Amino acid sequence: MGSELHIAMYITVIISLYINIAVCIYGIISKPNLVKKLISLTILQDSINVFLILIGYRLWRPGIILQPPILLDWSPTSEALKQFLERAVDPLPQALVLTAIVIGLAVNIFLATTILHVYRHFKTVDMDEIGMLKRVVIVEETA
Amino acid sequence: MLTLADLVFIMLGISALVSIPATILAIISRDLIKAVIFSALQSTFYALMFYLLMAPDIVLVYIAVSIGFMSMILILLIKKVGRYEKY
Amino acid sequence: MRNIKARDIIFIALIILAVVVLALPTLLGSLGPLPPTNIRSIAINYLNATYNQLNPGLWTSSPEAVAAIVWDYRGLDTLFETAVFYSAIIAALVLYRDILGEKDVLKGRGLSIVVQRATAISMVGILVVGAATILHGQLTPGGGFQGGAIAAVAPVIAIVVFSRFLIDRSRLSYKHLLLVRNIALACIALIPLIPIISLAIGYSQVFIFQNQVKAVSNFTFPQIIIDVPMGGTIWFFNLFEGLAVVSAFSLAVIVIFYSEEMSRKAIEGEDIGF
Repeated sequence: MGSELHIAMYITVIISLYINIAVCIYGIISKPNLVKKLISLTILQDSINVFLILIGYRLWRPGIILQPPILLDWSPTSEALKQFLERAVDPLPQALVLTAIVIGLAVNIFLATTILHVYRHFKTVDMDEIGMLKRVVIVEETA
Repeated sequence: MLTLADLVFIMLGISALVSIPATILAIISRDLIKAVIFSALQSTFYALMFYLLMAPDIVLVYIAVSIGFMSMILILLIKKVGRYEKY
Repeated sequence: MRNIKARDIIFIALIILAVVVLALPTLLGSLGPLPPTNIRSIAINYLNATYNQLNPGLWTSSPEAVAAIVWDYRGLDTLFETAVFYSAIIAALVLYRDILGEKDVLKGRGLSIVVQRATAISMVGILVVGAATILHGQLTPGGGFQGGAIAAVAPVIAIVVFSRFLIDRSRLSYKHLLLVRNIALACIALIPLIPIISLAIGYSQVFIFQNQVKAVSNFTFPQIIIDVPMGGTIWFFNLFEGLAVVSAFSLAVIVIFYSEEMSRKAIEGEDIGF
């Protein structure tokens, strides 16, 4: 009983992450407001990070209890180290996702400041209206 | 009987399923403040998923950055730029 | 319900098609057996080597595997990530270079006195929790970036609760924060170069970014603080990265919080072309 439940739940999580990613891509492409595009971009970045950690959740066999990759014993014998190797989750995707979250935050802060600057220049944040205003400016400059 | 592993997987499945309506509402709603609040709700469910997948370092970073800092910057941005979205 | 246009139906069909195209190979086994049943060999090597006293040529003296990977085994990645974060904050500040450092024209009063006294008490607690997370990065989940993000809540609430007028006259100004950030980043860049100084003392061969004793070189950072494993360079990296992150978040918030009258001075003249 236990094994089918686990497989079904794992596949449910993966498919719901796919749905989130597809809806966010729709949100980036088809909504004209710049702030809505920024919100969709942040949700997309978070969904991909969850997907990475999900793939790193390895070493699963029925009957063992997993632990995060942190050793709690400060002078371990070699028996304790073997137990730690049997139970710990993969530490490498966590380190890479940490870097990815920080870089995503840096890009989002810079995008927010750029949106403020665009608003002060054009008085609107709607991409359709900005396109029409720029068309007017280009026509005036080349006339 | 329900073992611990069963409970962990069931909670993972439920929080992943509940985050789908939060994402869809965040992208569809026209009032931008509501979109920010739904995005913060969806980040809370993702933080619960990170905890169940045994990644405690990432839970700390994610809660501070995504629920706290990004929501604040977005609300400041919306105050200066305009609250409602035109079609 | 609003009238559904034809393009809405096309968008929904495209989303369903995208999800089906992604889900079909996963169900047929492209990610391996689900949930995965064994661990990769590189993860076993990292977990085995990070606190194993029988193999001192590869150990890092920190019982936490994630901090050891981030700052010791893959330290170059983290160095460049810190550089990317630095450039993003500098790019956000450069757009406002005319008005940075000037006092704001709006004179606010902040929130009521009950909120101000309660915030003054809890800010101390926030800073202590953040400092504990930074300094214990090699023993418990935590570290430089996590602790810095927790401790950066304190200056941000201070600007909202006590008004900006009070903060402008205090010592939490733009110049001091930039100084703290530059010193912290310079120290992060100099710690990997400390082993080179020991060449003058008499060690024969050292590596840049070296943490503990290696097979061909005898130089090592201290391993124990009083009676607790220290992690060598990992402790110093966590400390300076925490300071850098606190000042970065405070700077970003100070710039965005300027009132509209002051911010419009920064874009004067852009419509004429300079």
